[in-house]
Amino acid sequence: MGTGNISHHISQQFNEDLQAIRHKVLTMGGLVEEQIENATTALVSGNVEQAEGVISRDYQVNAFEVAIDEESIQILARRQPAAGDLRLIVAIIKTITDLERMGDQAEKVARMAIHLAGMERPKNQYSELEHLSDQVRKMLRGSLDAFARMDAEAAANVAQEDLKVDAEYDAIMRQMITFMMEDPRNVRRTLDTMWSARALERIGDHARNICEYVIYLVKGKDVRHISLEELSKEASN
Amino acid sequence: MTDTKQMPDAPADNNTPTHAIDIKALGRGRNIRQIADETPCLQVQGLNLFYGKKQALHNIDMVIPKQRVTAYIGPSGCGKSTLLRCINRMNDLVDGVHIDGQILLDDLNIYDKSVNVADLRRRVGMVFQKPNPFPKSIYENVAYGLRLQGVKDRRTMDEVIENALKSAALWDEVKDRLHDSAFGLSGGQQQRLVIARAIAIEPEVLLLDEPASALDPISTLKIEELIYELKNKYTIVIVTHNMQQAARVSDYTAFMYMGKLIEYGDTNTLFTNPHQKQTEDYITGRYG
Amino acid sequence: MIRQWFKSGNPWIWLTASAVSVSLILVFGLLLLIAARGLGHFWPATVWEYDYKNQDNNMTRLVGEIHDEELVDAQRLREAGLILESNEDVTRYLLKTGNRDVLGQDFRWILKPRIQSMRTPETLLTIERREWGNLYGYLTAVQENRQTVAEGEDAWKSLQLRLQRATTLFAQIRELEKGEIGSINYGLERLRLRERKLELENNTDPAEQENIIQERAAFNADYGSLQKRLADLYTEINRDQMIVTVSTGETVAVPLAKVVHAFRPNAMSVLDKLGFYMAKVWEFVSDEPREANTEGGIFPAIFGTVMMVIIMSIMVVPFGVVAAVYLREYAKQGPLTQLIRIAVNNLAGVPSIVYGVFGLGFFVYFLGGNLDQLFFPEALPTPTFGTPGLLWASLTLALLTVPVVIVATEEGLSRIPKSVREGSLALGATKAETLWRTVLPMASPAIMTGLILAIARAAGEVAPLMLVGVVKLAPSLPLDGNMPFLHLDRKFMHLGFHIYDVGFQSPNVEAARPLVYATALLLVLVIVALNLTAIAIRNRLREKYRSLEN
Repeated sequence: MGTGNISHHISQQFNEDLQAIRHKVLTMGGLVEEQIENATTALVSGNVEQAEGVISRDYQVNAFEVAIDEESIQILARRQPAAGDLRLIVAIIKTITDLERMGDQAEKVARMAIHLAGMERPKNQYSELEHLSDQVRKMLRGSLDAFARMDAEAAANVAQEDLKVDAEYDAIMRQMITFMMEDPRNVRRTLDTMWSARALERIGDHARNICEYVIYLVKGKDVRHISLEELSKEASN
Repeated sequence: MTDTKQMPDAPADNNTPTHAIDIKALGRGRNIRQIADETPCLQVQGLNLFYGKKQALHNIDMVIPKQRVTAYIGPSGCGKSTLLRCINRMNDLVDGVHIDGQILLDDLNIYDKSVNVADLRRRVGMVFQKPNPFPKSIYENVAYGLRLQGVKDRRTMDEVIENALKSAALWDEVKDRLHDSAFGLSGGQQQRLVIARAIAIEPEVLLLDEPASALDPISTLKIEELIYELKNKYTIVIVTHNMQQAARVSDYTAFMYMGKLIEYGDTNTLFTNPHQKQTEDYITGRYG
Repeated sequence: MIRQWFKSGNPWIWLTASAVSVSLILVFGLLLLIAARGLGHFWPATVWEYDYKNQDNNMTRLVGEIHDEELVDAQRLREAGLILESNEDVTRYLLKTGNRDVLGQDFRWILKPRIQSMRTPETLLTIERREWGNLYGYLTAVQENRQTVAEGEDAWKSLQLRLQRATTLFAQIRELEKGEIGSINYGLERLRLRERKLELENNTDPAEQENIIQERAAFNADYGSLQKRLADLYTEINRDQMIVTVSTGETVAVPLAKVVHAFRPNAMSVLDKLGFYMAKVWEFVSDEPREANTEGGIFPAIFGTVMMVIIMSIMVVPFGVVAAVYLREYAKQGPLTQLIRIAVNNLAGVPSIVYGVFGLGFFVYFLGGNLDQLFFPEALPTPTFGTPGLLWASLTLALLTVPVVIVATEEGLSRIPKSVREGSLALGATKAETLWRTVLPMASPAIMTGLILAIARAAGEVAPLMLVGVVKLAPSLPLDGNMPFLHLDRKFMHLGFHIYDVGFQSPNVEAARPLVYATALLLVLVIVALNLTAIAIRNRLREKYRSLEN
C-alpha cells in the first residue's frame, strides 16, 4: 500500500497546491536545521552575536507553522482529500508541530550559548555537544529526506538512530554528573550544558516523530508508541 | 512500493537552505480575497422575483466579480437556479413571473425596456443541467450560434469552431468525426460540446446551472478542470447543489436559503469559518 | 382452472391477438378479392363455340367468352318464361357474345343443359375494336383498298403485319391531333381571348390588330399543312380492312384503323398469354379510355388523382403547419385557443359532401367568379375559374384535411423537449429563429404523419369532388406542353369517381364490372404508393432527429 505519486490529479490546481505545501514544509525544515547548526556553533565557539541571531529568527519558524497550518485546513476544506492525499495533509500538520518545537529547542540552545559564552570554557570545547548536535541534525535531514522521497524504509532507519542519540545523551549526563561531583564550582556551567544536551536530545525525539509520520503517510500504518523493532517491521512490509 | 521521485527543492545539502519563499508573505489570512478589490462584472441590486403571488427571491444584493468563478449553493428550492436564470432573463419564458430591482451588466440594467433580449443572451451564455445538444452534427451544434450571427465564411467558422472545441477540451476526441451526430457522444462529452457551443460566440459571462450533476465523477472533475481554465477569459457563475464542488471550483461562494442571500464571500473563509450560523449548519450537514 | 386462466391475463392476449388477426384478414381479404376480380380482366379468355338448342328447339351456333356461372332455381326460370324439362336447379352461363353491331347485345345467358356441344377452335379470333366493343369470328380475308390480298391461313400472317402498321399509324394520328393540332387550337383560342380583351379595353391600336391578324394567319397556315398531313395519314390507315365471318354466318368488314388487338386466344400458349396479359396491364395504366370508360386505359384518371393530391399537399402543409405553430407557440393558452382547437377538431367531422357544397358556393362561384371578372373578362361568358376545376378541387380537399395536419403538427411540437428550445434561446436566438432552425425540423416526422393521414383521407374522397372539379371524361390533361403548362382551371378525371362512373353509369354494367375491380385495385395501389413514399421520408427524418430520449 504505497502512496505512489502525489501528482497526476485531474485538477491541476490541486497538484499545484500540494506541491506548494510540501515545498513549504521542506523549506521550514531547512530553516530549522540551519537554526540548530547556528545555535550549536554559537555555543561551541562562544559567539554571542550568532546566538542572538538564532533567537531573533525563531519568529520565522513560527510564521511558517501558522501559514502551513492555515493552508492545510484550506486544502482539507476545499479539496476533501482522500486516502494518501488525506494522510499527507495530516502528516504535514503533525510534522510542522514537531518542526516548530525543534525550532524552540534550537532557540533554547542559543540562550544557553549566551549564558555559557560568559563562563570558562571546558577542556573539550563542548565537543560532546557538537557531536550530539551533528547526530540529531543528521536525523532531521534524514527524516526530511524520507518525507521528500516518501521512503518508509529510510524513515525507519532514521528512527533507529534515536537509540544512539539516547545512548549518547545518557553518556553525556553521566559525564556531567561526574563533573559536578568533582568540582562544585562547575555546577552552573554543567547545568547549562545539560540543558543544552537535553534540548538536542529532544530534537532527536522530534525527528523520530517525523519519521513515524512519514511511515504513516507512506504505509498508512500508525507506528507511534511501538517498539523500534516493530516499527522497522511495519515499514518494510 | 515507494516512489523515489525527487522533489525539486529537497534540501540537497546541509548548509544552503532554500528560502525561496518571502517570509513576509507568510502569515495569517494570506489566502483571503475581498470582493471589494475585484472588478465587478454584474451587479444585482434589490432583486425581488415573484411567481404570481409567491415571492421566490427576496431583495438580493450582490456583486459578481469579473473573470472569477462565483458559486451559488443552498438547499433545494432556495432560489439559486432562479437567480441564475435572472441574469440572462430566461425567467421571461415562464408565465406569471414578475421582477423588481435591477441587474447591471457593465452599468446597463438588463431589465431595461430598450434591451434586446437576444443580444443579452449572446453576451451571457448558459449551460444547463442536462446536456442538451441539438439533433445535428457536432460541427453544426457549435456553429449554431455563429450562424445566428450571420457568419457565413466557411474558413472563419472552421477556425472558430476548432478553437471553441479546443477550449472545451473536446477537440482531440472529436476532430475526426465533426460531422457525426452529437448524440453519439457520451454524457460528459455532450456537456463539453454544449460548453463549446456556448463559448463559440464569445460571451462575457458563462452561467452554469448544475453542469455536472448529470455526469459521472470523472467527467465531473474534467468539467471542473475546464471551468478553472475558462475563468481566465469569462466570468463564470455556477449553481451547484454539491458543496464540495463549490469548494473545489469557486473563488467566491454565495449561500442562499429560502430566496434570501445569507452569506456571500471568499470561498476559503466560507468553508473554513463562515460568519452566519445558517451557513455553518448547511455546510456541516446539520440540516438538509 | 378456468378461473386461473382468466386471472393469468391470457384471455386478454387472445382477445387482442384475435382482434388484430381479424383486422388483418379483412384488409388482406379485401385486397385479394379486388385483385382476383380485377386482375382476371386482362387475361385473354378462352372463346367457346357452342351448338345450342334454342327456346324453340332450333339449333344455333353461339360464340363467346364465359363471364359468369350461376346455379338457378328451376322455378324461377319457369316464372321468367323459360320452358324446362326437369325440376332440378339449372346451371347457366353468362356468355359475352360481343358483336354488338350484329347481334344487338353484348351478353346473354345460356342454359347448360341446352348446350349440345362445345369446342374451342384455334382459329377463332377475338378482335378488340375502338367502337362497338369486341368482335368474335373467323378470319376470312384481308383486303387492301377493297381488294383481297390474302385468304385462309395466309390471312392471319398478313393481318398481323398490317395490324402493326395500322397501330403505328394510329399513334401518329393521335400525336398529330392531340399534340400539334391541339397546340394550334390552343394558340388560336388565346388569340381570340386577346382580341376580346382589346375589345373590352376599347383598344383600337392598329399595331396590335395587325399582330393578331398576322399570328392568326400563321396559325391557320400551320393548321392547313397539318390538316393535309392528317388527311394523308387517314388515307393510309384506311387502306386495309379484314373480313370476318361471325357465328350467324354473316361476314363483317372491319377496317384495321378501328382495331386495337386481334388475337387467337385458343391458340396461345401460356407464355403468349402472359405476354399479352402484361401488354394489357400496361395499356390499362397508360392509355386513354374508350367506349364511355368501359374499355381502354385509365391513365388520365391516375394522372388527375396524383396531380390533385400533390397540389392539395402543397396547399395543406404550409397552411396547417403555420396554424399549428401559431396555436401552440404564439397564442396565449387560454379559453380562446381551446375554443379554436375544438372548432378545428370538429371540422374534421363534417361530412365531406358539405365541403363539396361549400367549395362550390364559395370557391367556384364567389372566388372563381370574381377572379374571372378581374383577370379573365375576355373569356366571359365562358368561365375560366368560375367553374369547377383542379384548383378548387385541391383547395376543397385541403380544407377537408387541414384539421388532421394541424392536430398532428401540434402533437409533434408539444413533444419537443423544453431543453432544446431553452438551449437555442440561451444562445441568443429569437423565438422565430428557434422555431425555424431547431423546433420545426424536429417536428417534421410529425408533420409528415399529418400529411400521410391527409393524403389517405383526400385520395379516397369522391363526393365533394363531383361538385368541384371531376368529370367523367376530360378532353385533356391538366399538365401539358402549352403555356402555362399547369392548367389549374381545367377539369380532371379521378380514380374514385371513375370507379363510380364505370360501375353505375356505364351503358353496359356487366361488361364493366371487372374494370371496376381493376380500377379499385389501382386506386388502392396508388394510395399505398403515395403512403409508402411519405412513410419512407418520415422514417428518414425520424432517424435524423432521434430526440433526446436517452
